[in-house]
Amino acid sequence: MLSVDNLVVRYGAVSAVRDLSLKVGRGELVALLGPNGAGKSSTINALTGLVTPASGRIVLDGQDISRVRTEDRIRAGLTSTPEGRHIFANLTVGENLRLGAAIRRDPKGVHQDIERFLALFPVLSERYGQAAGTLSGGEQQMLAIARSLMSRPKLLLLDEPSLGLAPKIVVQIFDFIGELKAEGLTLLVVEQNARQALRFADRVYVVSAGTLRHSGPPSSLADEHGLFNLYIGG
Amino acid sequence: MSQAIEETASAPAAVAQPRAALTRSLIGGLVTSLPVLVVGLLILNFAPTYYTYLALGAFVNLIVVVGLQVFMGNSNIANLGHSAFVGLGAYGVAILSTPLAMKKLSIPHAPFGFATLQLDPVSSALIALIAVGIVAAVSGKVISRLSGVAATIVSLALLIIVHSVFLNWTDLFKGNQAFFGIPKVVGLPWMMVFSVVVIVLARLFKDSRWGLQLRASAQSPQASAALGIDAKKLRLMSWVLSALICGLAGILYAYFAGTISPKLFYFQMIFNTLAMLILGGMATVTGAVTGVIVLSVGLEFIRSIESGVTIAGIQLPQLLGLSGVALGVVIVLCMAFRPSGISGRYELDELLSRFFRRNAK
Amino acid sequence: MDYALQQLLNALAFGAEYSLVALGLAVVFSIMGLVNFAHGEIIGVSAYSVFLAAALGMTSPIVAVLLAVAAAALAAIAFERVAFRPVRYAPTTTGLLTAFGVSIVVQNLFMLLISPKPQSVSILNGLNQMWFFGPFAVSSLQVMELIVSGLTILALVLFLNRSTLGLAIRAASRDFATVRLMGIKANRVIATAFAISGALAGIAAVFIIARRGSVSPDLGFSLVLKAFVACVIGGFGSLAGAAAGGMLLGFIEVGLLVALPQEYGGFKDALTYVIIVALLVYRPEGLLGQRVELGDKEI
Ligand SMILES: Nc1ncnc2c1ncn2[C@@H]1O[C@H](COP(=O)(O)OP(=O)(O)OP(=O)(O)O)[C@@H](O)[C@H]1O
Ligand SMILES: [Mg+2]
Repeated sequence: MLSVDNLVVRYGAVSAVRDLSLKVGRGELVALLGPNGAGKSSTINALTGLVTPASGRIVLDGQDISRVRTEDRIRAGLTSTPEGRHIFANLTVGENLRLGAAIRRDPKGVHQDIERFLALFPVLSERYGQAAGTLSGGEQQMLAIARSLMSRPKLLLLDEPSLGLAPKIVVQIFDFIGELKAEGLTLLVVEQNARQALRFADRVYVVSAGTLRHSGPPSSLADEHGLFNLYIGG
Repeated sequence: MSQAIEETASAPAAVAQPRAALTRSLIGGLVTSLPVLVVGLLILNFAPTYYTYLALGAFVNLIVVVGLQVFMGNSNIANLGHSAFVGLGAYGVAILSTPLAMKKLSIPHAPFGFATLQLDPVSSALIALIAVGIVAAVSGKVISRLSGVAATIVSLALLIIVHSVFLNWTDLFKGNQAFFGIPKVVGLPWMMVFSVVVIVLARLFKDSRWGLQLRASAQSPQASAALGIDAKKLRLMSWVLSALICGLAGILYAYFAGTISPKLFYFQMIFNTLAMLILGGMATVTGAVTGVIVLSVGLEFIRSIESGVTIAGIQLPQLLGLSGVALGVVIVLCMAFRPSGISGRYELDELLSRFFRRNAK
Repeated sequence: MDYALQQLLNALAFGAEYSLVALGLAVVFSIMGLVNFAHGEIIGVSAYSVFLAAALGMTSPIVAVLLAVAAAALAAIAFERVAFRPVRYAPTTTGLLTAFGVSIVVQNLFMLLISPKPQSVSILNGLNQMWFFGPFAVSSLQVMELIVSGLTILALVLFLNRSTLGLAIRAASRDFATVRLMGIKANRVIATAFAISGALAGIAAVFIIARRGSVSPDLGFSLVLKAFVACVIGGFGSLAGAAAGGMLLGFIEVGLLVALPQEYGGFKDALTYVIIVALLVYRPEGLLGQRVELGDKEI
């Protein structure tokens, strides 16, 4: 479904991503792991087009989207839940969800989806008319994921969904991610919390200092020359 | 490669010997003012009177632009009110130094005994500068506390306040009418001396610890606040210095023109000098100088067309507004295509020393 | 009593006009950090369009009003497309200076192409009459200013709270990059914001033409300076702050007009600015503002 070839991202003189290639197959959940500053977020932002890569090719469903604008990539069925959630703090929970569906033209379907997420996350339902900035971190993360799903993406990129959340909430969030996968959604999940990320992952990529260090099934991480400890730990 | 090594090697040396750094930026300032001196001397020796008069105006602009650079270039906040200080300087000396006979005609009812007071030009200038300094300190207190945009708007408000006082306090400032009879004591040589002094001063400030810290805080406010840099104090400092330089420009203008009026120190001056600074490049003192030279020549050319030229026997109509359009276009194009202006990041002496070092290889 | 009411109406009408213009500035600033000094020239384009159309034989005041609003909205969109798009992601100062440059260019184009002198436009004079309510005589223009501004602000609030594009504008004022992640076109959001800002300026232009009966190159410039000040006291970037700041400005001005003796009337503007700067000493971030820092923009 997604194939990335020789991606390079630079910020001025700093190379954040160097010659990274990866693939995500339909229905797969792929984990992208690596330490702080490895270039994971840069990769995700290059995929959505929020940063312009120096070089490399991004192909979604056989279509080269490397030069396509962010807005049009979303319309092509790819979306991301950015690191740090970035919910619209000055808008209500409901308005956040509505904006998530901005590209859709079926008001009925949008309405149904909103109902579905409110049923799924009762907290959001309680806080429906409240400014999203007042939600707790965990609630904001659920809102952010729900908002991404409102556009009915084919491929969802999640950037550190566990960031700053209590272990119990992290487990909940990953349970939900597992359900999404079971429903057939394709996911690329960036994580530092390897243990959670590997619960549902089909395959794993490990990056550090912008370079791909390893790829393979989750089980390969445990045994291969201490990779797990070297780059990820815990 | 070796160039980089040389540069890194000279940096610690500069820290170890502040005196050497001081000398270097002093020499840098002098190098930057060389083109100004050359142009000035050429005009002094060869040009007809009309051009001398134009040149005097250009020198005043030069001092204003350098003054503007001191604040804008270091704090990276747009200042749209600096001509208020030029006006304050000019009116200051006008009120203090104009001969009593003239004052009887122009401001017979001036309050605080100004109607019967006449000082020599030098003391007048000093007192005018003190007045400018006081206004600058008070306004700077407000401006340095505000975020960038609000500070810019307040600088504009200051301009309007000062202009409106010139217009309406007729007993003291003679209102809309021209204030004439100011002693004409400044010619091109003095103008050149002060230009050099001001250029060197601006350069010294830029290279000083304060200038450096101010530029750092403009680049990343949070980071520099964490380092304990007091950005407010530094902004205030550069604001006052900038105002004093602009005030000096006004004093010199009054002393060479002999006649002033409020509209000289209003938006037209802001437009002109701002465009000069932007075109030259506001990050450097060299930029200020370059912008003034290029745009003074350019504007003079456009003004000659504007007033209606005769080409091949055909008299073209007056094209009022042409120079304004040109100024605006210069600003817009610069901002879009080269926000750092003609001279970019480097001062003239820095460019020269790079050039020679490269050629020496 | 009559006098007090008259002055109250004066203050409300002035305030309403400042609010309209200030809101236009705030809408654009809040989403793209652009300090639009060329806003006054949008008012100018609107007014000169009416002048030209009238000179070419347009006689209907209603058409003139529609033309004024449409021309202003189009001018705002055109300014964005030509001048502001290249500096969209540049630091605030760059955008501010660009807008200042655009303002100079357009003002001087009016001089160059039409005339530096004021030109008379009488087509909207009919809006400016005296209405009599029993013993009270009020200016129809002031009443209309108040009502139209109120309705416009209401419509703006509804748009920003109900429509998807309105929500996007509000969201974009905090986090433009994430709005794009929703698949909403950045260009569209910005063009809409400019169109709104322009339309507000166009409405203000209608009132200005009706009151002055003439147009001149610097028509909008000083009004916009005041609107900026209104934005600053309200808190730059806050829409509610802009509206409140505009009203406050109207009241300060009329208050000064009433309080100042005739011979000091010329100091009204200066004193208005002094009062406002003094307010800023106590609240540097404005009345309703959160602090907008120098480079407060995201990717
Ligand atoms: N906008 C930017 N400008 C300059 N450098 C940047 C920018 N964004 C990221 N970087 C640099 O690029 C490198 C990779 O950053 P990135 O955010 O992609 O890492 P990451 O793997 O997501 O890290 P983390 O786990 O901490 O989120 C870092 O060295 C970072 O400092
Ligand atoms: Mg990251």
